[in-house]
Amino acid sequence: MTEMTRALETAGGRGDSARLDTIRTLWSDPRRRRELLAALSGTLIAVALIAKYLAGQEGWPDMLLLLAAVVAGSDIAMRAAFSLRQRHFSIELLVTIAAVGAIAIGEYWEAAAVTFLFLFGAYLEARTLRHTRRVLEGLLDLAPATAVVTRDGRQVDVLAYEVRPDEIVWIKPGAKVPVDGVVVDGLSAVDESAITGEPIPVEKSAGAEVYAGTINQAGLIKVRATGVGEDTTLARIIQRVEEAQEEKAPTQRFIERFARWYTPAIIALSVGALALTRNVELALTLLIIGCPGALVISTPVSVVAGIGRSAKRGILIKGGEYLENAGKITMLALDKTGTLTEGRPRVTDIVPLSPGASTAEVLYWAAVAESGSEHPLARSIMDAAQRESDVIPAADSFATLTGRGITATYGGWAIAVGTPELLAGLGVATNPDAMRVLGELQREGKTAVLVALDDDVLGVLGIADVVRGSAAEMIRQLERDGVGIVMLTGDNRRTAGAIAGELGISDVRAGLLPEEKQDAIRALQREGHVVAMVGDGINDAPALAAADLGIAMGAAGTDVAIETADIALMADDLMKVAEAIHLSRLTLRNIRQNVVIALATVTALLVGVIAGEVHMAGGMLIHELSVMVVILNGMRLLRA
Amino acid sequence: MKTILRSRELNCPSCVAKIENALGRVEGVSRAKVHFSTGRIEVEHDGVGDGKLIDTVRQVGYNATISSVRGAGE
Repeated sequence: MTEMTRALETAGGRGDSARLDTIRTLWSDPRRRRELLAALSGTLIAVALIAKYLAGQEGWPDMLLLLAAVVAGSDIAMRAAFSLRQRHFSIELLVTIAAVGAIAIGEYWEAAAVTFLFLFGAYLEARTLRHTRRVLEGLLDLAPATAVVTRDGRQVDVLAYEVRPDEIVWIKPGAKVPVDGVVVDGLSAVDESAITGEPIPVEKSAGAEVYAGTINQAGLIKVRATGVGEDTTLARIIQRVEEAQEEKAPTQRFIERFARWYTPAIIALSVGALALTRNVELALTLLIIGCPGALVISTPVSVVAGIGRSAKRGILIKGGEYLENAGKITMLALDKTGTLTEGRPRVTDIVPLSPGASTAEVLYWAAVAESGSEHPLARSIMDAAQRESDVIPAADSFATLTGRGITATYGGWAIAVGTPELLAGLGVATNPDAMRVLGELQREGKTAVLVALDDDVLGVLGIADVVRGSAAEMIRQLERDGVGIVMLTGDNRRTAGAIAGELGISDVRAGLLPEEKQDAIRALQREGHVVAMVGDGINDAPALAAADLGIAMGAAGTDVAIETADIALMADDLMKVAEAIHLSRLTLRNIRQNVVIALATVTALLVGVIAGEVHMAGGMLIHELSVMVVILNGMRLLRA
Repeated sequence: MKTILRSRELNCPSCVAKIENALGRVEGVSRAKVHFSTGRIEVEHDGVGDGKLIDTVRQVGYNATISSVRGAGE
């Protein structure tokens, strides 16, 4: 019996101390404490109001309201005191003074409502703001924790940032890629949506690059680590997004200048009002609306949501300033090669001319001749031929004649691929048909070559840098958004004109040197345009620098682009250009809406208080509501 | 030394100055910077314990944690 009692006592005692611990942890956690106090004071207020107005009770409900004010106010006063000890004049101090003042003049309801709304509002705001900050947390969560490597002949798990450079990492199906690296063995599809925003998994085999934070979906791959820990594309993206969200937009700087004198001015107004009118309540109400909440939060909330949303779609925007700039773009300058086009010549036309020669034959013989050449056109012919037949034999001998083409021999056959002059030099007669096809292809902006076997012209090949599939759609979308398009290219007028015609671009400036591209941008700016430039490579660098906004495409894996471009598109996808500008416009509009809401609220409150229409509780309610409206409006961007 | 803390509870930019002030007054802290937009808190110091930094932010009224992503130069 005694044993049992003792056991019970021990259990009970342990329960008590455990409960005490829980309360202590609750109390030392400022967020939990505030939630608890807000809930308690809210309940007290509700009971008091019911008792007072529904049950017609007198006296004691007021004491409940006083208690509610003390419950909620204790936390606010404590924080006010802490800040005051640091010689910091905080918003909490204003609220505390107002609440104490309200109690002093017997306005218990006002004191309870103000303190409760302040705590509850802060809770709601923090909760909602967490959503806008969540994108970054999502990126942080992507950072993989461990990697599988082989050390001393055994497979071991190590922390992702402990992988040594050039070490081979094993990535199993379903696993996160822990490092940036190059596939050395294996075949798989990798979901890169976290980095590029592209939902379709990308095939990876030996030689392909993979990025930390992406997900291996299909097979086991072995990867040689090239970037580890802080030196991965993902880490740089996280850093970029964070810096971008922290960088202040011009509107924000303007608002902050305004807010700096707003609070002191309201306090002065409050003191002045008290001195002049002896109206304590008016003075206290002015203190309540002294916090410029909605105003200072209006811009950052839109910027964080806009940049976060873009990052999720594989669009890295350098900061609030660039976001605002992008929203104001009126003209988009595009490089041709590699931007509007794939940047890699492809065989687009195969025209057989000799009786009995098939397209496959024309291609086959051209490929045999080009098999030893390093020329970019040779590469495109080889690629096309290898798609048709498995084996392309190497030529027995070949000779390149710069600017004319190539001659080769194979198994006793003589092959020539090149210009009419090349064939004429070899004594091969060209027929009118061949010359007509050649001319047609050239007018389309293509490179055309004749293919001859011994004395016979087999046919003509047309080679061109083909337009990206999404180019036309992107241009249509930008034009819908009211953005003008201009093509700047170093290529010749005929090729540029053919591509522009295909895409419906009317403003084409061809044959430009890098400095001339820059001059073209400057000229557009002088005409009053806000100009964005999309480009790649060194030759676009001056133009990118001169533009109001530089956009780099296919930035995954190229650190320079991530670091220097104002907007870096992780995927090599033109549609992202239109999307980036569209999202920027939405964000800019959102910022403006928020600033208007905030300014209107502040003005209305000030007028209302001075006119005597708005009292303490109402003022606090409107103030907190305006903050919530601004946050919720900013959050719409996350779903845009 | 630089420590990065993160808080998910900043709800009004006025708390930025409060936290920077409080951290700045901790013995051994040379610089404190609070980014409202992201909730990131950078503290430069000569070996102040993580616990002390977290406690200080807590006294101002906000929970914070040490960031899992290591800062540059570490």
